Amino acid sequence: MAGNLLTATAAIARKDLKVEWRTKTAFMSSLVFAVLVLAVLYFARDKTSVGDFDIAPGALWVTFTFAGMLGLNRAFLLERENRALDGLRLTPVTPTALFLGKVIGNLIFLGVVELVSLPLFILFYDVPIWRQLPILLAVVALATVGYVAVGTLLSAMVVRTRFSEVMLPVLLLPFLVPPIVSAVQLTWRILALRPLSELTGWLSLLAAFDVIFFTLSLLLFEAILIE
Amino acid sequence: MTRRERALQTARRGGLVTVIALVGLAVVYVRAIAFTPIERTQGPAQKIFYVHAPIAWATMLAFAVTGLLSLLYLTMRDRKFDLMAAASAEVGTALGIAMLTTGPLWAKPIWGTFWTWDARLTSTLFTFLLFVGYLVLRGALSDFEVRARFSAVLGVMALVLVPFIHVTVYWFRTLHPDPVVMKPEGPSLPAVMLTTLLTSLIVCTVLYIGLVMQRYALAVLEDVREEEEAGDGIS
Amino acid sequence: MGYPENSGYMVAAYTIAAVVVLVYSVTLYFRVRRYRDR
Repeated sequence: MAGNLLTATAAIARKDLKVEWRTKTAFMSSLVFAVLVLAVLYFARDKTSVGDFDIAPGALWVTFTFAGMLGLNRAFLLERENRALDGLRLTPVTPTALFLGKVIGNLIFLGVVELVSLPLFILFYDVPIWRQLPILLAVVALATVGYVAVGTLLSAMVVRTRFSEVMLPVLLLPFLVPPIVSAVQLTWRILALRPLSELTGWLSLLAAFDVIFFTLSLLLFEAILIE
Repeated sequence: MTRRERALQTARRGGLVTVIALVGLAVVYVRAIAFTPIERTQGPAQKIFYVHAPIAWATMLAFAVTGLLSLLYLTMRDRKFDLMAAASAEVGTALGIAMLTTGPLWAKPIWGTFWTWDARLTSTLFTFLLFVGYLVLRGALSDFEVRARFSAVLGVMALVLVPFIHVTVYWFRTLHPDPVVMKPEGPSLPAVMLTTLLTSLIVCTVLYIGLVMQRYALAVLEDVREEEEAGDGIS
Repeated sequence: MGYPENSGYMVAAYTIAAVVVLVYSVTLYFRVRRYRDR
């Protein structure tokens, strides 16, 4: 049983990534977008009163948020274009496997965008993150998981509507308040070299959000697949 | 009784409940303005509280009801729950508009600022935004089954989300004390003010119920009409 | 009279709340009515 779940999940993720890798459109767009947002936010402030350090965490997470939306949209758009979702339903793929496969595909997509944006972030904002890299990456991973889980569920719904590119942010952004606020709070504390005790509160909020909303999204995904 | 007749009856009863509530609201207005004393330090603007707080309560009630009905729909797949959830959402949005306009009008004279991102205000704002998203999603889906399921999913997710937003903002502010000093509403309200507040609370709840009954009846009538038209299409 | 003169806000808020509630209630009533006469 578990073996089937694993293979099915992997197959879906691999298919999605292969298709994306062929054209790399969404990936390149997200990347360019990330650079642009980082740059604009860098200049969009009074440098004498708002230091690099103050704006950096917010800039990083605004960038990830919006770059992520681009990636999430693409995930189900593929299917809609060729009514392929119906085709998928005919295969013995369980809703769980479909959801997990999509989530993993999205995570890898967004993960790569984040990993490429991070050096640019260090470059533009001149923040000392090398020593803190492991914990920072952990925070990025945690926030991304919650974001992608809810985003995958919502993008599956929204893809059926006409203005899916606008609808996804409208529905998704409220759900991003807990994880992104936590991520920004953690990021600036990490960059400010604060002790671990200051991080635990926000880490537990982030973890709780991830656990609850990942589970919820997984359970509700089945309701979205219409026969 | 046919479904249509039952809906019309619900509409009639809902209309009656609404009228009672509106009369009650007029009574509350008179009592609050003329028969409740003015608070010495805050002035007449404090009286907005008697309208704003109960409406806010009704809005959050509408939100909780939509969320719970969404859950019921997902577990029992009864059309009725979907239509009721949607009715509660629309009424909640209307009340939410009243809430979000009266709130800042109360905040400016009392707190000195129209808005502040504290836990309560932020949660109610996002509740409103989620309501709007819910209605927009429904508007964009024409198939009944799809619309019902998708909005139910959103409804359940939203219900779980709002407490998270509340906690997030609460921690955010506790660790970042706000420069704006906020006056508390007072440790306890004198009896005459409390009565006004409670009366208003009851009136707004009854108003919510009456409006939802009517809106639900409307949804059923629309549904019945669509079924009839679909049936005619075949013959 | 020792209190601040801010009744303007009160009037505005009470008016807006009443208007919103009434407009919604009345339009809802008429929306239902369209289905009544059939």
